Amino acid sequence: MRPGAEGRGARKDMSEPTRPGVDAPGDWEFPTPERRDLDNGLTLISYHVPGQYVLSLRVGLPVSLREEPREREGVATIMARCLDEGTERHTAEEFARLLERKGVSFGAGVAEAGLFLDIDVVAGNVDPALDLLRQILTEPAFPPNEVARQVRTRLADIEQERAVAGHRAMMEFYATLYDAEDRAARPVGGSRQTVAAIRRQDVVAFHREHVVAAGTTLVVSGDLTGLNIASSVDRALGGWARGADRPSFISESAQLAADRDRVVVVDRPGSVQTEIIIGAPGPDRSVAGGWAPYPVLGFVVGGSPSARIDAVLREEKGYTYGIRAGFRPRSSGGIFTTSGSVRADATTESLRLLAEILEGAGAGLADGEVRSGVDFISKTAPGRYATADAIADEAVTMALDGRTTAFTTANLRDLATVDARRADEAWARFWEGSRLGASGTGWTIIVVGDAAEHLGEVERLGLGPVTVVRDS
Amino acid sequence: MTSIAYPLTERTLDNGLRVIVSEDHTTPTVAVNLWVGVGSRHEVPGRTGLAHLFEHLMFQGSRHVASGEHFTALMDEGARLNATTWFDRTNYFETLPSGALELALWLEADRHGHLLEAVTQENLDNQRDVVKEEKRQRYDNVPYGLAMTDVYATAFPEGHPYHHPTIGSMADLDAATLEDVHAFFRSHYGPNNTVLTLVGDVTPDVGFAAAETYFGHLPPIERRIRPLIPQLPPLTDPARVDRGGEVPNDRLYIAFRLPVDTTPGYHACACAIDVIAGLTSSRLTRRLVRTDETAVGVGGWTMGLIDGVSLGAITVDVSAGEDPDEVEAAVCDELEAFIAAGPDDEEMESVVADTERSWLSALASIEQRADLISHHALLTGDPSFVNTFVDQVRAVTSEQVQAAAAAWLRPQARAVVRYLQADEAEAVA
Repeated sequence: MRPGAEGRGARKDMSEPTRPGVDAPGDWEFPTPERRDLDNGLTLISYHVPGQYVLSLRVGLPVSLREEPREREGVATIMARCLDEGTERHTAEEFARLLERKGVSFGAGVAEAGLFLDIDVVAGNVDPALDLLRQILTEPAFPPNEVARQVRTRLADIEQERAVAGHRAMMEFYATLYDAEDRAARPVGGSRQTVAAIRRQDVVAFHREHVVAAGTTLVVSGDLTGLNIASSVDRALGGWARGADRPSFISESAQLAADRDRVVVVDRPGSVQTEIIIGAPGPDRSVAGGWAPYPVLGFVVGGSPSARIDAVLREEKGYTYGIRAGFRPRSSGGIFTTSGSVRADATTESLRLLAEILEGAGAGLADGEVRSGVDFISKTAPGRYATADAIADEAVTMALDGRTTAFTTANLRDLATVDARRADEAWARFWEGSRLGASGTGWTIIVVGDAAEHLGEVERLGLGPVTVVRDS
Repeated sequence: MTSIAYPLTERTLDNGLRVIVSEDHTTPTVAVNLWVGVGSRHEVPGRTGLAHLFEHLMFQGSRHVASGEHFTALMDEGARLNATTWFDRTNYFETLPSGALELALWLEADRHGHLLEAVTQENLDNQRDVVKEEKRQRYDNVPYGLAMTDVYATAFPEGHPYHHPTIGSMADLDAATLEDVHAFFRSHYGPNNTVLTLVGDVTPDVGFAAAETYFGHLPPIERRIRPLIPQLPPLTDPARVDRGGEVPNDRLYIAFRLPVDTTPGYHACACAIDVIAGLTSSRLTRRLVRTDETAVGVGGWTMGLIDGVSLGAITVDVSAGEDPDEVEAAVCDELEAFIAAGPDDEEMESVVADTERSWLSALASIEQRADLISHHALLTGDPSFVNTFVDQVRAVTSEQVQAAAAAWLRPQARAVVRYLQADEAEAVA
């Protein structure tokens, strides 16, 4: 509409306006970065995003969890959390104050794809922030008391995670889906026994070997007006030790468990709700036929209150606040999960309905459903990727997947061509590839709830062998 | 120091609807954000949770819109949308391509003006069930999930508008009738009790014209406005509640009544709580987490409210095997020490730097910017707060922070809620 013009629904009296039409979305593309390869193997990717006054810095290091010693799993997480807990020149307390006085927020963590560091800072303080980042990466002191404190904190976190039904369910899902010998079957941050065994020398050794410049990506996103980010990064991180050469991303597939198609009940006596996961192995972004149909499938099946699952379990039955389904790519292979919580006395009926709805997707999706999914994902992209942090997050995710945000752009273009035929083919590929069968068989199913209440009925559903786990 | 100057243009329609437009053409999208001046503070005894249950019904159809169509029609055009309910207000919002702005306004006006024709017993019963599952998922079936409910009930007196939580009680949710829903809509939903904010790819002229087109015909409602209650003074003696059960570790919530939102006293209290417990380098983090190692985590936060009081709290996750009484005594020591000496210059510098970055981060997305503009237009009267807040915090002096702590954060003014592992709770029961 033009300035000053009246709307389409305009009327002269005070009667109701009529329903207006919609103009086509304006032109938009994912921002184009500048790339610079430093001599020490660090890659800088920068995005100028006008109006984003807080810069988002993301560092992605291709560090595989499989590099952790089996008896010290969680050492990467402890190392990440200790990076700013004291450096060669500053105590942990002093360093926290240095960050805070410049308004720098810092976080670090580990995922399957690697080690991530996040910094947010107003543009005017980016140089001091980069110098603090240099100290974090290259001069951490890992004081023994700080390492011990982070170990205790992680042990407390483990108890918190076990207490929250959604976390507990996800932990059991990985343990059931993947072969017990595979790192993917066990918690990213380690378990009680392995975390408790971590000492300073483990952390120092892990840092020395893995926190190096080669293969590392630094993303800087935000309003870069008046800044010379390339020279700022050269000054701050040009001297960071290169380390051994390595690829900039990990590509490892996880071994699936031979007996993954079964039901595990995690007993929670007296639970007023039951947390459910129904899942299977899924594709990654390099899947034949393209990645674009998979987010659409997730949307149609379980991506909104009007998706197939919530149309029944929430809007028709009132069993749940909401259940979500979707595909999550990993570096090689991925997972599909349907997860959420339901009223305790609707546990069995919810499981039956979910299995039925998932199987029903194989009978073919309607053109309208697929169009809705394509429209939602493509038309929300300009808003989803409008902020510095969203752009930086996407860029570092792509970097650690061996891609650039050119993939994001190409995938959005491909998305526009996804129709019901492509969506159906993609679902069929997933179904066959994951060896899913009729009547709810083939899934990995986790049920966190009152075993005494539900066990018999769940067994009678015939979704697979049922075992019960009781937490100590 | 980043200068914050988002453009704001405001107009009030003849029916009382306040419309605020903030132009930003960096992406071809627009955020539509409505704040209605009704929340759980307006609920009457026996009908807690009604404001939130009502919000759910706003997605179940209106005069020209079928049940669920609000979601599907907007999502098909690329909208991300939702609604939330809180003590003081209910908000409805979507961010979408600017070519769909008029559709969004038409859909919003249909439900904000003509909801009741579509509300049915079946919809009410279904959404009542959904809300009960929301309560179970977010409050009843999660460790510490009821802690905030206990904090409100402990810090605020019986009958105070903030004494009960927005989610309400199961019994009251069960008791809600269609007549309640009708009366609630008629009392609170109208253009003269609503703020509409548009942020993004829209000019003020276009935004005001569209608002007039789609909302101009809605009649104002008759508002019976209860005056805001006077400022609640601090507690004179500590109040406390202990809960025992299946929690991973002991946790303390040490809460305080504070001055109402955006007053100088509130800002000063917020600075004090930041220094004592909110910053990464807060005094309690240094003492309890780093030095004494009696806690695994410390947090500090404030919640600005308008009806006679705000809330601030310090939370402590107690280390395994440590005595929660001793940890609480240490918190009281630090409060006394802070009141005696006030913050130092570095602490104040940290508060300002942290506030600036987090406020600019909040304003970075058009949806959150729109939400903050609506918030301050509706509740504190000044939408330009988005541009002035950091300067307001920067102007707070160490002496003001110290004085505010002396007035509001004395240990004897604390309301303490403790969630203790079962065996200890038995010992203190």
